[in-house]
Amino acid sequence: MQVRVLFFGATADEAGVRSMPLSISSQTDVHSALEEIFTKFPRLRSHKLLYAVNQEYDSSDRKLNDGDELAIFTAVSGG
Amino acid sequence: MDFFELTSDPISIESVARRVVPPQCGATVTLDGYVRQFTKGRESLYLVYEAYEAMAIKEMKKLVEQAKKNFEISNVGIVHRTGRLEIGETSVVISVAAPHRRAAFAACEWIIRELKRTVPIWKKEVYADGECWVEGDASITPI
Repeated sequence: MQVRVLFFGATADEAGVRSMPLSISSQTDVHSALEEIFTKFPRLRSHKLLYAVNQEYDSSDRKLNDGDELAIFTAVSGG
Repeated sequence: MDFFELTSDPISIESVARRVVPPQCGATVTLDGYVRQFTKGRESLYLVYEAYEAMAIKEMKKLVEQAKKNFEISNVGIVHRTGRLEIGETSVVISVAAPHRRAAFAACEWIIRELKRTVPIWKKEVYADGECWVEGDASITPI
C-alpha cells in the first residue's frame, strides 16, 4: 500500500520536499507512519506537529488505507 | 450564498462585503485583516502565506456551519490571500450578514478566532536579516 505525504510551510522546509509517496503495510496507523517519516527527516521532531488524513484532522491511532493523503504541518498561523 | 475562497490576487474588500447582502438582513460586518509591519517589536519586510487549499476550504465551511448554530446570522463570505503580501495588504476578509448587527459582530469575531486556530494556512515573516514560519497555538490533535 502507498500513501501520499504532504508537507507545508515549516515542515516543507525541513523535509526539503512538498510531497512524497510512502509505502506502508496494511494496518499501519498514523503514529507508525510518522515514525518512518521522522526517520527520513529527523528535524521534523523539533516542531510541535499537527496532521490530517484526507484533509481532516485525525487521531494518531487512525489506520491508513491505500491512497490516503497524510498531511503533516505545524500549528496554523493564517488570518 | 456563503462563499469560501483562496486567492493569490489582491482582495477587493467591497466586492466581498457586497456579495453578502441578503434582503432579510440589516447589517454586514466585514473584517479586513492586513499585514502588520511590526510583530513583537520586529519589523517584517513582507509576509508569505501558504495554504493547504483543499483542506482550508473544508475547514472554513465547517466553522461557518458551526457559527450559524451559535449566532443568528444568515450568510458568510471568507476570502484569504496566499503568496507574497506587502505591509498593509489585506490578507483575509470575512463578511458576516445578519438580520441584526450584534450577531454579525459577535460571529465575525468568533469566525476569525476559529480560522486562526483551525484553518490550515501558514504565514512566513520575512525580516531584513532572516525569515521565520509562524507557528500558532497547537490546540488541535497535537502529535
